[in-house]
Amino acid sequence: MSGYGGFALRRAGQAVVVVLLTYVFTFWVISVLPGDPVTTTLRNPQNGFTEEEIARIVSYYGLDRPVLVQLWESLSRFVTGDLGVSLRSNRSVADMIGEVLPSTLVLAAASLTIAVVLSFAIAFGVHYLPRPFSTALRSVPSLFLSVPGFLVGLLLIQVFSFGLGLFRAIDTDGPVATFFAALTLGIWVSAQIAEVLIANLDHEAAQEYAGVARSRGLGRLRMLLKHLLKPSSLPVVTVLALMIGEVLGGAVITEAVFGRTGIGNLVERSVASQDLPVLQAVVTLAAVVFVVVNLLADLVYPLLDPRVTLQARPEVGANA
Amino acid sequence: MRTTRTRARRAWQAAIGILTTVLVATACAGGAQSTDAGSAQEGGDLTFLIDSLGDTWIPNNSAISSFQGHIWGHVTDKLVYVDENGKTSPWIAQSWEQNADATEFTLRLREGVTFSDGTPLDAAAVVANLDMWSKGDATRGINPIGLFPKTYQAAQAVDPATVKVTFSSPTLGFIPTLGYHGSILISPKSLALPAEQQADLSNDIGSGPYVVESWKDDDVVVLRKRADYDWAPEALSHQGPARIDSITYKLVGEQQVRTSSVQSNQADIAYNPSPKELETFKAQGFSVAAPRYLGFVNGFAINTKVAPFDDVKVRQALQHGIDRDQILATVYTPDWLAAESFIQSNVPGATDHKAAFAHDSAKAEALLDEAGWAKGPDGVRTKNGTKLALTLYPNPYLATSKAVDELIAQQLRGIGFEVGIQAYDVVTYGQRVKVGGETVPAYEITRSFIDAGTVGGVLTDANKGENWFGLGQSDAKLTELATSIAGASDPALRDAQLDELQGYVLDQGYFVPITQIVQRLYLQSPRVHDVTYNGIAYANYYTAWIGDPT
Repeated sequence: MSGYGGFALRRAGQAVVVVLLTYVFTFWVISVLPGDPVTTTLRNPQNGFTEEEIARIVSYYGLDRPVLVQLWESLSRFVTGDLGVSLRSNRSVADMIGEVLPSTLVLAAASLTIAVVLSFAIAFGVHYLPRPFSTALRSVPSLFLSVPGFLVGLLLIQVFSFGLGLFRAIDTDGPVATFFAALTLGIWVSAQIAEVLIANLDHEAAQEYAGVARSRGLGRLRMLLKHLLKPSSLPVVTVLALMIGEVLGGAVITEAVFGRTGIGNLVERSVASQDLPVLQAVVTLAAVVFVVVNLLADLVYPLLDPRVTLQARPEVGANA
Repeated sequence: MRTTRTRARRAWQAAIGILTTVLVATACAGGAQSTDAGSAQEGGDLTFLIDSLGDTWIPNNSAISSFQGHIWGHVTDKLVYVDENGKTSPWIAQSWEQNADATEFTLRLREGVTFSDGTPLDAAAVVANLDMWSKGDATRGINPIGLFPKTYQAAQAVDPATVKVTFSSPTLGFIPTLGYHGSILISPKSLALPAEQQADLSNDIGSGPYVVESWKDDDVVVLRKRADYDWAPEALSHQGPARIDSITYKLVGEQQVRTSSVQSNQADIAYNPSPKELETFKAQGFSVAAPRYLGFVNGFAINTKVAPFDDVKVRQALQHGIDRDQILATVYTPDWLAAESFIQSNVPGATDHKAAFAHDSAKAEALLDEAGWAKGPDGVRTKNGTKLALTLYPNPYLATSKAVDELIAQQLRGIGFEVGIQAYDVVTYGQRVKVGGETVPAYEITRSFIDAGTVGGVLTDANKGENWFGLGQSDAKLTELATSIAGASDPALRDAQLDELQGYVLDQGYFVPITQIVQRLYLQSPRVHDVTYNGIAYANYYTAWIGDPT
């Protein structure tokens, strides 16, 4: 038990360090880039500001101070839980993230559900359907991966919104529009899960125990559900854990095509305008999500495969 | 990364464009053209698809001159109204007087006007706004309005309906400036809020015909009409409350989705459609508006400090070497007009000086010969071993700029220039390309203004001017004309000087015009009628109404 406690503590400590390093690293990366959102906006010739006025405004935001001073302030704010104020919108970063998070979570949940259903359907099809169909299905994941998401999204909008009028393309948070946005993202995610799942099912089906089961006259479907699926799902959990991170932060294109707000869209705009406080907050949030999701994946492993136990890990640590 | 994205975007835009055209063209085959006949109807909801909703909603810091100006135009009023021809007329200020040397103005306000929070729009409120436009508030991070006259001294509420404003020197541009982008009247209660609260649009209270019902950052702004609104500009065709019940500004980043939504009747207006598709939209029965703003034409301010552009003959060769008709025909549509001067032809006081920059390559070549630039075997002219070179920096704020520059480069190569094009993103451009910069022989101008007095203030470095041509005050004639226009107190005299100035600047090749500029394009459903466009090319749906679906 103490071994596990030490392991958990170390893991948590590592996580905190990772998150803090992410925060500092983001700051450093953005700081070495030329320009800042305030001057970029002010320098638009349409605004007609004098250099003197620009200097005064930049100094209000503290952007003329040494980078280390800015980093120290930002870091000391962060450890007290204050994410600061956006340089672009002048609103509290926490508010901005809170506003777009629900939309992202809905899209992520819906697209992962669609992806899991689709990928299992594809994998089952590959193993269960007669030959010509199963061979065709085998190439579906590659097809899904190679068709760009924006094309899928635009085609879906074109056909189902502009063509058939099933939903208003601009009514972005409606259930139908959300479904099609999730489908766009889900198709891409399903391909990655399906590839892993098919490969593992192939592998498991070639094992001796499967041969034995088959020789005892076990039906294909029963065989799949009862014997092959569980060991084959293990790597799927890893892929799924990685995908959660992807769909939470990486849905930029889907969001743009469907006109949705979300974390991806927020990141894109913040990168374009070098909005440091928002970027730091979002990247840190992403780091937290990755750390937590990966930890959860580790915890789910032993439930799916009794051969994996947490006890094995502290021993590795002890040896080192 | 930017280029890859742009390229990818172009590729799918092309692919989807074809699909869209096929699908939507079949849907609209009947033709949707309706006539403006029929009387105005009350009610209805308008959906406006826009490509950005700007950054912050702090009124002074927001993108008043671009995207957010659409919303401010409906939520707020201004002291004066400036129509699309630059004509100034009363709005919240019912009348005004000025002293003989245009340093003191008295505004008489309309009575009974209120902000939607109930605060009266009286002299005290106007003074609070004038001070905020002029100075901003550095302690709260609130910017001043960049183009507000820098000669502003103070404003004083004489009585609840009278405001006296004083300037340190003659400022004829003051009254027209009150109708400009930034001069939006905001409730003093909102102005007193800290920046973080002003950044919440719901806290920015105006007196306009619409109020903010709800909004979401980077997504949507919903406006609802104000039932007791009764102080529209006299110049408009409609008075009283607005006719359309609500206006929804929805951000849709993808151009194709915006235009296809209008084509399939899911929305009423798509902002910034592709200029290339305008003719198709018109053929399908949709209306397209391309109002011009008041301001400078799109063109180059030539830096006379950079050789060989210190030579008037080289500048004149540049002036005559550009075929502007080809640019209009190749890059633009018939909605873009040829330049007649270096200011747009709808600016009061703009006069026709086309001859000074008429395309004539023979003349341009002769000028270069005279200046001693001899054509080499490769077609590039040289003088004392130096090549006749010019680098152009496309303006990243103007989408068509690069295509235009490429065409100009091709034209100028024909007369012996070696032309390079250096395109930068907005950030790098802001740092490396500055008007009068050592490496910038030609700075591309796109700028709106509402009063021709602005022209006098930017050409030289007199009175902290921007010194567009790098001349300082060395050109006595230019300095004299510019300074007297900037400080003019007599409009008639100023118009005569402005005419002389336009001719002089163009003859000297200081400013090389390209075309008149259209910065705002609207694709509109035929069910929307009677939209008004103001002097800064914003669509005003206060006068508009929604007819029966066609």
